[in-house]
This record gives sequence, structure tokens and C-alpha cells, in this order.
Amino acid sequence: MSPLAAAALFAVALAVVIAAFLAVVTYNAVVALRTRIDKAWGNVEVALRQRHDQLPALVDAVRDLMAFEQDVLVEVTRQRARYAPDAPVADQGPVSAATTSALRALFAVVERYPEIRSQENVLRLQGEIERLEGLLADRRELYNDQVFRHNATIAQVPAVVLASLFGWKPRPFFDAGEDAERAPDVSLDARGAGSVR
Amino acid sequence: MEDTRGLIAALALLGLVGGLALLGRGLRAYGRAGRVAGIATSRISTLAAGEVRLVGTVEADVLTLVSPLQSTPCVYYRSRIRERSGDDTRTVFEEEEDVAFRLRDGSGTIRILPRGARWDAPLRFDAASDWTGGDPPGLDVNPGATHRRTELDREAQIAALLTVHPAADLPGEDSDGGSMLSALTLGAGGLGGSRRRDYEERRLEPGDTVTILGSALPFGDLESPAGAGPDDPTSALDDPEVAMNLAEAREAGILRATPEEAWGNAAIPGFGIGQPARAPELDPAADRPPLADREAAAEAERRFEIPAGELVVAAAAGHPLAILLGTPGEARGREEATVLLGLAGAALAIAGATTLALTLPGLLR
Repeated sequence: MSPLAAAALFAVALAVVIAAFLAVVTYNAVVALRTRIDKAWGNVEVALRQRHDQLPALVDAVRDLMAFEQDVLVEVTRQRARYAPDAPVADQGPVSAATTSALRALFAVVERYPEIRSQENVLRLQGEIERLEGLLADRRELYNDQVFRHNATIAQVPAVVLASLFGWKPRPFFDAGEDAERAPDVSLDARGAGSVR
Repeated sequence: MEDTRGLIAALALLGLVGGLALLGRGLRAYGRAGRVAGIATSRISTLAAGEVRLVGTVEADVLTLVSPLQSTPCVYYRSRIRERSGDDTRTVFEEEEDVAFRLRDGSGTIRILPRGARWDAPLRFDAASDWTGGDPPGLDVNPGATHRRTELDREAQIAALLTVHPAADLPGEDSDGGSMLSALTLGAGGLGGSRRRDYEERRLEPGDTVTILGSALPFGDLESPAGAGPDDPTSALDDPEVAMNLAEAREAGILRATPEEAWGNAAIPGFGIGQPARAPELDPAADRPPLADREAAAEAERRFEIPAGELVVAAAAGHPLAILLGTPGEARGREEATVLLGLAGAALAIAGATTLALTLPGLLR
């Protein structure tokens, strides 16, 4: 073998080693990203489940004290009933956002009732649900950030090559939907009571 | 002609080996950069257990370190003194130390247990002795203990961070210390001749912004709370061979039964870093430190106790701990620069191999 051929062989071998290394590291990185998405979704589910479990207690606590705003309570109950833990992520986003919106409306109405606000158990439940809403918001953000990293990675070189080989697809965001962006419309109707639109 | 060929071959070999070493470094940095980029940043207040990335400001916890070369309070240092004499270079002092600290972001604080961590700390002191062999400006050797009890008062900590400190003392002024390092560096003034010293100190200090990759878990779930790291030897206590060795050591009376027996006064909370909670056993001629009152003793005990349910960040199996200066973008940028250097190393290795292939046959003939 001529010296130049030996040098060329060395260069090719080095390039193969680098390419193999990149392939292995990229594969492992994407697998780790997918695992982190699953973990982040698991944490979101825990918060969703906790909120779901707390809502009946809150509705029961304020039902008798809110004579005229039954539609606000009905809306909270209706949205709670739509929660389906086994539904796809893309479907759970709007349901969660609608539940948050209904809760905001309920809390806005509760503000008008000093006798409700003086109830210790209502305050405790409201505090707990607000804590869970904060937790949910943070975990949703973390989940979406993780999904963004995954989707961006598999769309870029070198992972895009492996994505077509292994069938990696973009993961869905836990989209809050348009409802969550809009402030709840809590207005006084003709009876002087609140309603949600 | 033969000499020139030999020199070229030697340089080519050097290029080949150096290039491969750079490439190896670059490939490792590629993996690390991917890890920094692949984890989303969590908020401390809503942190869930598992692998996490946190970004925040370093705050001192129970203890702070005092750096050896500049006597600066810090949570990590790596200090080194190298002596050059002609072509000969030797390391005359090298020390690395870290201590648990707190990380604060906009939502709260969390304790970081850094045992086994990979640190990416900035080079805060890099100087050499002058042409007479005298100490460089900025050298302020720590004559005392490396650990210092942290002032718990947050306002005092903020005031300390906001205080502009004067430049380090002039060399030779700090001469009341008795440590080996003191003797070593103060002796440098008389080096003379061709001997010179290079001083390097990397540190992370309270107030620095850092990115932390690691595992969040309850303190009680750590494999080895004492060591807070998977590589800690105490995590091997379940090993039958280790258990047998321990039993033998106990029988032989080598292994002490209690911390008090093993460590003596050092097992007394507050001893050496404040007011001891109990009376230490001292030489009759020694100055007796004032004992802590009941409240201070309880505080000293409490400061060193971490509740088992408290969430901490540490190294865990599969999730090594990395503590990196700056924001994630800055940390990743440094790793990517190393990756580019690695690619340059690959080119150098190929050039070296080609040159070697062309010159070696002539030399061997």
C-alpha cells in the first residue's frame, strides 16, 4: 500500500469513527429526550389528578352559599367531568384550560360573597386549588419546553437522519388553547348575579 | 537530510497524537453540550424529583470555604502552584475542595450536595512570580482554616456581596499564618535564580450564576447521605466482603462505635467554626472557647441536620452532577467551542498521519 493510500485510509477510518460516535450520541440523546417528555407528562398528570380530586370538595363547600350562581358551579362540574386521563395529550390541553377558566370565574364570583370568603374550609380549598393551578402551569411549561427541545432536535442534523430511520415523530404540545388566554367574562346579569360566558 | 526528515516525522507524530487527543476531548464535550441542551429548566418551587436542570445564584449554606491563594469565601476551589526552573516544571501545591451550598432562583432555594460533581469554574486568579521571584500582586494566602461558618443573616450576606473589597494585600504582609501553604508561598520571595512560580485558582463564589444538571431527590433517598454520591465508598456497605472487613475491624478495635469516639472534638456541633455545643476535651494549657448557650447549641445542631424528606440536588445513578458557571447558553457555548477544537484536532491528526506516511518509508529505508 502506498503512503498516500495509507493516509487516505486513516482519514476515512477517522471519519467513520466520528460518524459512528455522533450517531450513537445522537440516538441516546433523542431517547433521553423522549424519556424526559414522558416524565414531564407524568408530572403534569399528577397535578391534573390532584386538581380533579379537589374540585368536588370546593363545589360542595360553596354550593349552598351561592344561591344564584349555579351556572358557575355547573360549568366547573361539567369541565371536571370532561377530564379523561387516558385521552391523548392534544385533547387534554383544551379540557384543562377550560377547567382553569371555569375555576377563575368561580373564584371571581366568590370574591363578591363576604360570607363565603369568611368560611375557613372554602379559603383552604381555594388556596389549595390555586397552588395546584400554579403547579400545573409550571409543569405544563416544563413539558412544553421539553417537547420543543425534542421536536427541534429531530428536525435538525444529525438527528433528522436517524428520525427517518427510526420513525421518530414530533410530540404534541400540551396546548392551553385559546380559552385559557381569554380572561373569564364574569358579568352581572339582570338578577345581579354572576354568569360565565 | 536524514535529520530534517526525522524532525518532520517527530512533528507529524506529535500532531497525530495531539490531534487525536483534541478530538477525544471534543467528542466528550459534544455529549456534555447535548445534555445541557436536552433538559428544560425547572423552577425550584415546583421541582419534581428526577433529572433536573436548574439555573440560579449560588448562596452559601452552613459552611463556606476560604480559598488558599486569595482567601476568598467560596463554595468550590481548585488551586495550584507550579514551580519552573529552567526546563523543569513541578507542581508544588494542588488542592481541590467543595462544600454544600444553596441555589436560589426567582421561586425559592434548594440545597446542592456537590460530592462527585463535575465543576466548570472560572479561573479567578492566574499569576506568576515576578522576575525577582517575588509574589505576584493579588496573592493573599489563607493562613487559617479552609472552612468557615456561614453568617446566616441574609441581610449581612447581601451587604457582604455588595461591599467593594480593596485589592489583595501586598505580598508578604500576611505572614502570621502557620499553614504549609503559607510557608510555601512566603518562601517564594527568596526563590531567586531562574525559579518562577505560576499560581492558578478556579473558584465559584456566592453570587455567581450557575447552571446545575443533576438529580432532585429527597435527602433520605440518597444512596449514601454521608457521601451524597454513587461513587462514595460508604455505598458499598452492603457488599458481604466489605461487611466482613468491617466486622474484623470492629473486633480488632480499629473501628470506633460513635462519631465522638472516632472524631473527638470534631463531632461536637459548632466546634472549630463557632461556639461548641458541648465542652471539648482540650489540653489544660489551651484557651477554652466559650460554650454556646442553649438556643445557639440547638441552632448549631439544627444547621447540620437535613430532614429526610427535604428535596436536594445531588449526583445519582445515571444522572451525574454538573455545576457549570453561567446560563445554560453560556455553558453550552463553551462546550461547543471545545467541539470545534476537536474537529480541528481531527484535521491535525489526518495531516500528521499523511506526513508520517510520506516521511517514514524514507527514514526506514
